[in-house]
Amino acid sequence: MSARGTSLLVMAWRNLWRNRRRTILTLSSVAFGVFLAILFTAMQDRNWADMINLAARLGTGHVTLQHAEYLEAPAFSRTVQETGVLRSMALEDRDVSRAVERIIGQVMLSTARESFGAGLIGFDPAEEDSSTFALISAIAAGEPFTTGDDPGIMLGERLASNLGVGLGDKVIYTTTDKSGGIVNGLARVSAILRSGAPSIDGALCVLPIDALRDVLGYAEDEATVVAVFLKDQRRADAVAERLRRQVMSGVTALPWQANQRELAAFVAIKVGGARFMELLIAVLVAAGIFNTLFVSVMERQREFGIMMAIGWSPGRLFRLVMLESAWLGIVGLVAAALVTAWPYYYLSTRGIDISGLMGPDTVEVSGVAMPSVFRVGIYPGHAAFIACAALVAVLLSGLYPAWKAGRVDPVETIMLV
Amino acid sequence: MNPGGNSVVVQLTDVTKIYRQGKVDVHALRGLSLEVNKGEFTAICGPSGSGKTTALNLIGALDRPTSGRVVLEGRDLATLSRRELSHLRRDRIGFVFQAYNLMPVLTAYENAEMVMWVQGITLEERRRRIGGLFAAVGLEGLEDRRPSELSGGQQQRVAIARAIAAEPAVVLADEPTANVDSETADRLIGIMERLNEERGATFLFSTHDPRVMERARRLVRLVDGNVASDERRE
Repeated sequence: MSARGTSLLVMAWRNLWRNRRRTILTLSSVAFGVFLAILFTAMQDRNWADMINLAARLGTGHVTLQHAEYLEAPAFSRTVQETGVLRSMALEDRDVSRAVERIIGQVMLSTARESFGAGLIGFDPAEEDSSTFALISAIAAGEPFTTGDDPGIMLGERLASNLGVGLGDKVIYTTTDKSGGIVNGLARVSAILRSGAPSIDGALCVLPIDALRDVLGYAEDEATVVAVFLKDQRRADAVAERLRRQVMSGVTALPWQANQRELAAFVAIKVGGARFMELLIAVLVAAGIFNTLFVSVMERQREFGIMMAIGWSPGRLFRLVMLESAWLGIVGLVAAALVTAWPYYYLSTRGIDISGLMGPDTVEVSGVAMPSVFRVGIYPGHAAFIACAALVAVLLSGLYPAWKAGRVDPVETIMLV
Repeated sequence: MNPGGNSVVVQLTDVTKIYRQGKVDVHALRGLSLEVNKGEFTAICGPSGSGKTTALNLIGALDRPTSGRVVLEGRDLATLSRRELSHLRRDRIGFVFQAYNLMPVLTAYENAEMVMWVQGITLEERRRRIGGLFAAVGLEGLEDRRPSELSGGQQQRVAIARAIAAEPAVVLADEPTANVDSETADRLIGIMERLNEERGATFLFSTHDPRVMERARRLVRLVDGNVASDERRE
């Protein structure tokens, strides 16, 4: 004698496999839909995070502490004082990993042959490495600075070519100092930078921060910005909000979106497009599930009539069909995990080189080169959201068939008459 | 329940049932009155269209009469809600259908215990009742087989076990021997007779089968939706 008792869960599971081929096709559509949504989102998450992190490492961090008026009217005169205090304050925040001081502005570079305007970044080589300052890893020739008063200057490859200088050659940089006066500095080319981004390679120079402070007339603890780096770039708004409440008067804390408006708009548009695509995938998957469940319910009208006749309530029939759709969702998610695992692993670790598709010129947004290797990496929260959304979509598509099952008329369906 | 200890289980009083087929009214029952007492083994026979199945549908709370009263164990079915009718079917009526109508995804054991499961009877009690019933209907050893692995006669025996297991007030059987060979039909009738005698189960058949009519202890003949004859045998 069998010791097992019947349960709705078991019955729903067995019903799922009555038409094995149809169930497998439906599960495939769930798995493929989730697979697409995961990879699509993972590509977005990884690419935008990489670009945002790179933008932060190229300039002003994920959150920037700067003069309250610097954003609207950047000038070497609008500085922040007591950078050591600001850095310590930032580092006390649980989401902050690093905080460094930088001088950012514009200079005129001159050599014996040419003069060109360029962007300028001054950083402290004793405090920073490539994890906070991306251009250190873009050195194509020469050596990085060794001290804050290193006499060298790093030039973008195309800028150096335009200026007609190479390693060891002299370059004069001219700018306005803190009080608005014209000042000059002399440096020798110590490194050539090749980032792939035209706006960096063609129009950016890098100087050691102490040498620049001397030229600009800054104090030892004075800079244009304190660049704050976060463990997770998505916390930028919250951290900026917290720091804004703590900093001294005249200083503000801005998330990267404020300083990188073009990049922020680009990411927002792309994320919006991705959400639309994901919604489309969800609707398509839900339509497939609905079709399967509805056909399956219509095929079992007589059976449901019998069940009603022997005492099943409409509610119990509703629950049975909803459990069938829940099983479809759960098994579909397991299938999706199996289908997605290997491609995800491959794309997250090795990626696909798409530089051939991008042409000879690197595509950049707001000075940040688009990655030429297609990689994926999804935030766990997004993966969980997709799984939940798929399950909800499957359950929603089961609602009408389940309701229909509970509305069966036993006499009509049993055809006793 | 049956109030006052009255032995009448089913009572139909002046019941009519009119179906609309296209633009034509079909009178399936025309003022049918009938009483079935507890423990009776009754067959309703009659030609096609005489109203046998319609009468069973009404007694089984699957359908409502156009007029007249259908009372089961003292409860007028017209006064019950959809939910109450569902509970009544579950708790007080057993059904045996012509085409067995077992759930294909459940085993013989699970099919037989299904009504008890829906009633919320404990696993142990279900096991005890099914054990006894399977022995009584000769299904021992077939508990774990699915309907597709059983013969027509075996499936109908599972259906009988399912109908009896919940200990209903009446078992309604619609042409229960129509789809089986004569030997199997004899065996099925024998099983139902024994269940009627040993357990006091009330059976009400609709049938064309002369063997069922011969062995019924009460034979109600319907013609044109009304009782043409009502013969009791001892």
